Amino acid sequence: MTEIPKSSGARPAESKNAVQHYFENHQKVAKSTFLQLIHQPLTTAFTCFVIGIALVLPALLSVLLANIENINKHWDGSPQITLLLKKGVPKLDAGVLAESIAKKQSVSSSQFVDNEQALSDFKSRFEFTDAIEFLDENPLPHAIIVRLSPNLTVISDIKQLRDSLLTLPEVDSAILDAAWVQRLQSITHLVERAVWVIAVMLSLTVVLVLGNTIRLAIENRKEEIIVVKLVGGTDAFVRRPFLYMGLFLGLGSSIIAWCLIHWVIYLLNEPIEAFALSYQFEFSLSGLGFLSTLFLLIFGLSLGWISAWLAVRRHLDEIEPN
Amino acid sequence: MIRFEHVKKRYPDGFEALQDVSFHLNRGEMAFLTGHSGAGKSTLLKLIMLMERASSGKVAVGGQNLSNIPRRQIPYFRRHVGVVFQNHRLLFDRTVFDNVALPLEISGMSQRDIGRRVRAALDKVGLLSKEKLTPIQLSGGEQQRVGIARAVVNKPPLLLADEPTGNLDPELSAEIMKLFMQFNQVGVSILIASHDLALIHPLHYRVIELNQGSVISGAGND
Repeated sequence: MTEIPKSSGARPAESKNAVQHYFENHQKVAKSTFLQLIHQPLTTAFTCFVIGIALVLPALLSVLLANIENINKHWDGSPQITLLLKKGVPKLDAGVLAESIAKKQSVSSSQFVDNEQALSDFKSRFEFTDAIEFLDENPLPHAIIVRLSPNLTVISDIKQLRDSLLTLPEVDSAILDAAWVQRLQSITHLVERAVWVIAVMLSLTVVLVLGNTIRLAIENRKEEIIVVKLVGGTDAFVRRPFLYMGLFLGLGSSIIAWCLIHWVIYLLNEPIEAFALSYQFEFSLSGLGFLSTLFLLIFGLSLGWISAWLAVRRHLDEIEPN
Repeated sequence: MIRFEHVKKRYPDGFEALQDVSFHLNRGEMAFLTGHSGAGKSTLLKLIMLMERASSGKVAVGGQNLSNIPRRQIPYFRRHVGVVFQNHRLLFDRTVFDNVALPLEISGMSQRDIGRRVRAALDKVGLLSKEKLTPIQLSGGEQQRVGIARAVVNKPPLLLADEPTGNLDPELSAEIMKLFMQFNQVGVSILIASHDLALIHPLHYRVIELNQGSVISGAGND
């Protein structure tokens, strides 16, 4: 007759095989949970669709955001700063200065505009050339047009660059053409903020919906849970099938969300292309790339697992044999 | 194997199910626990398998003081106590084999060993040919034998049974008792709660009688 071992030593004695059996059990539970979900195709599909749709909105907005940032990068109108030089700076020095500015890291190119060229440009564009003829000398200063690197999109960084250029002794004033950069940036910020708010709220919805689904599953298997606890099932063992259920539902939902997103992009692309073309602008929405797809899957899986874990903690521990 | 010392159990609603219960069950012994319904039989069994905790006094099983077992360790403790329930508590959505295999799955045994042990247990209760059926396809007596197979498949040193023949006719009840006696003969300590005196008296095992939460006879010499 074997003695009842002290509880600390009561774990499976064959520790060599314990890890293998642990994974065997995981595999078995995963498989049976998966089959269970497949056996109720309508219920499972319904749940996945509800959650999938909840995932679509934030995902779609972040696709939009990525596309806006894309515009930001590839638009030919990268921001520029016009430096007006002090009177009396020799043309030769100004040319050298323009070259040295072009070498700065945040500058993509710079162009020296001498005052005579500027005056003739001015004359050719505007009608009141006669008035200029009355002036004794060329009123325009030499100028350097500095095109900024496309990586420089944050307005404060651009302003910082402008200020540093202003400290150069030859520079009299600097004109920053920043209005559109600011506008685009505030739109991007707005969408970014909206994505976060919507993502947080919808994630909460997903957790509640999934949590409720899993609560029902727990309720349906109450008798089984009690029996398992009575014959020595640990909490981890009891929780396992429900955690897998959450993972599978999360995964199914992300897959459905992925399909929906691409369907929506397909629907939106034609009108958007037409709209962009009306601004002589070639543009089409790009879908989810590899990393975004991976992120969506991991996000769905995590939400599923978290909801299951919360539901299980809340309801499973309440079920005690009595 | 089981030792109760001045055990009291008062439920949160104030009901005192057990008052000052002391008795012991020797290693390898089989005994019956009788008494009217409400005498405390079920509470006593629940204390042994840690479904409830004693309000005061000491419960020891296999030399281990149960009040020293933290909640997290209860599952490991329960793997060493086989329990047969009156309503068998079988799972109707799976086969007889899977029902009996459950305690082994839980303790993390390999599939090959599980098959061997489950068939051995089903053979002992005479249901080897019915492993692929579901419990619903079995008679009441057969269902109870599946419950017994599940309780012994782990080879626990201690077996508890709560009214195992409660729903069975005398002939089937006698068969179930014969099974318990066979397990006792190979050294399993057994405590059976039953109010069926006509069934248990002819068997000449010790009878521990409970009345209103106290042991009135058969506590054992100590």
